[in-house]
Amino acid sequence: MSATTTRVQENIGDPVSDKPQVSRPQLEEIFKDIQADLRYDHELHGCLNCGICTATCPAAHYYDFSPREIVQLLWTENLEGIYDAMQEKIWACAQCYTCAARCPFGNSPGGLIMLMRETAIKHEMESAKSVLRPFSRVMLKLVSTGNQLAPDMINAEHFADWGPNISKVDAPLKLLRKAIPMPTLNTTATAWEVNLRTSVELYTIWEETGVLKQLEGIDRNLFDVIADFMDEKREDWKDFLADQEDEKDD
Amino acid sequence: MTTIKSDGTSGPISAERFTGHGAEWRDAKLSPHDAGIATSWVEQKIDRRSMLTGKDRVEDVRDAMWQLEKEGEIVIHRVSDEHQPVMVKTLYGWDKKIPTQRLWHHKSCGQCGNIPGYPASLLWLMNKLNVEYLDETDQTSCTAWNYHGSGIGNLESLAAVFLRNFHQAYVAARAQGLPDSYYYPLVHCGTSFGNYKEVRGYLIHSATLRERVKAILGKLGRLVDGKLLIPEEVVHYSEWLHVMRERINAMREIDCSEIRATIHPACHVYKMVPEDAIYDDGILGGNRVAVSTGIMQALGTQVIDYRTWYDCCGFGFRHIISEREFTRSFAIDRKIRVAVEEAQADVMIGHDTGCITTLDKNQWIAKAAGKPVELAVLADCQFAALVCGAHPYKIVQSHWHASPTEHLMEKLGIDWQAKKAEFVAYLEEVKAGKQENLYDPRRMITSGPGFKPFKPLSAAIPGANRP
Repeated sequence: MSATTTRVQENIGDPVSDKPQVSRPQLEEIFKDIQADLRYDHELHGCLNCGICTATCPAAHYYDFSPREIVQLLWTENLEGIYDAMQEKIWACAQCYTCAARCPFGNSPGGLIMLMRETAIKHEMESAKSVLRPFSRVMLKLVSTGNQLAPDMINAEHFADWGPNISKVDAPLKLLRKAIPMPTLNTTATAWEVNLRTSVELYTIWEETGVLKQLEGIDRNLFDVIADFMDEKREDWKDFLADQEDEKDD
Repeated sequence: MTTIKSDGTSGPISAERFTGHGAEWRDAKLSPHDAGIATSWVEQKIDRRSMLTGKDRVEDVRDAMWQLEKEGEIVIHRVSDEHQPVMVKTLYGWDKKIPTQRLWHHKSCGQCGNIPGYPASLLWLMNKLNVEYLDETDQTSCTAWNYHGSGIGNLESLAAVFLRNFHQAYVAARAQGLPDSYYYPLVHCGTSFGNYKEVRGYLIHSATLRERVKAILGKLGRLVDGKLLIPEEVVHYSEWLHVMRERINAMREIDCSEIRATIHPACHVYKMVPEDAIYDDGILGGNRVAVSTGIMQALGTQVIDYRTWYDCCGFGFRHIISEREFTRSFAIDRKIRVAVEEAQADVMIGHDTGCITTLDKNQWIAKAAGKPVELAVLADCQFAALVCGAHPYKIVQSHWHASPTEHLMEKLGIDWQAKKAEFVAYLEEVKAGKQENLYDPRRMITSGPGFKPFKPLSAAIPGANRP
């Protein structure tokens, strides 16, 4: 699938923006990266500004955000507008895909936003770093274990607005987890017990698909912590395989 | 009661049409003319199914998938007769095969980490129905919650994770001395379900993507005859529940006819890859996604309509972690308050991890902010298990829910205080290492450290999952 060719040669720009000027080549590179994703042509077909997407958008109720605007910026190749939207607006989207289900053109504004988020990370934008800082705990868990959410992450310190008690039965977390009648779930640091081989295979996927590189660009400290985790698990796996060989020899 | 037909004549209303107003509904006694004016615009314009179907460029991706297999590009993991499939209809009337036996549980990180009664209730129902399954440790989450929230990840990583996990489902039975493809994957999470279907579509259409991930899957030793393995159907647990609804109702022990239930359909279940969602002409006239509504109707509850049924829950992926001001405002104002004040609901039923978490956990803060609103929130399988006699704490694990499930239990005639006391006493047994499990724990490790080969009970023996 080839990327869409440029439809608008001249940048329209945003005359009222007070953001620092970004060079034209940089803006073009950012847009090229968004466009280069093979999903781009599948998710953008045209736009008549009907606004059905925005009318049904949950984020539009609460933020200065409009999926219609995002689609228009991309469709008209408004490079400065795209760059501006990537500073804050794209992070408002709730990723429900209601817009995609409703768009008469078959566009997926939610899907396009993911391409913009990925590109913001690739270009190590400060805005992306700042938005994702509170997300680092989740990313650590996900990248190192393959589970996004673990029982020990849900506590009053991080979820004070969920009430003083995480469980209505007052007992230690470890005991409550042991009382779940699925043995895979008798864990506290991961949502389920994860096989060692699973983790090692997941690390290969992260490396081969450039996800670790993304992470390194956005949060160097987090990357270092995760790299240590990975080294440790890979060593464990090597030891296990060596033990297996020894057992065979015996 | 009558309604105005499109030709202007009036006639009796269909029993399965949008009847969802519950026992307390009273006819406004409008004249046929006035009723026509009041409802015709809504019926014409806000027909949700036509919103979804009134587009072109829609294809059945499975056609291209079969062609790829014919050309020797991929291997398809089939839903075979041994999986005892039930056929359903999707949005455009296409067939979809839902396997009902020999299932490989693809768990949800959010469910297992936060609302463990969700998967436990599902497995409990399967035990009652003698469904053979495997719940094992060799699986990752789909990683899509993180992807949608942070943008860390990409199409290739999502595709590689999808193919890796589904390959494991394909070969998992080897650990029990059983053949490949013995188990069929059943996806618990709505986001995983939507993400996997979307990714499957891109894999089928893009040779470039296939080539890239094939190299990765090859490194992992997860190709079949040197080819990528792609599932014939991506199946969500709510679809299994849907096709089993009458069999589940046959086990029901509690009368549910006084329960006013509202349904929250999950966005990633039916708005992502909408052509694959189940629509059933016998359920709400086939105008809304059938899962959850189907089981709740089968169990005899009153399914109540509410005007914001189409809205998302407010989860937001990133927002639920780091910007819950949006999440809780949306969940309370657009969903819970409407269900309570307009539908006078006893419960809100969902079928996805994020929705249940969001709608359940965010009620406490409304109380703290002086805007109290309370409504029990459960997954469809939790409600089904509860009314089929599952223990509300040992199995349904309702203590992890922040919402007032106690009110619902009281209306169902369940003495929750006594049950809670039983559970607290049971915790002493757990402390002593005497916990009860839904299946033999030896089954959960299929390779690597801790794996010990063992001969399982024959699949033909009812209750083969059990210790």
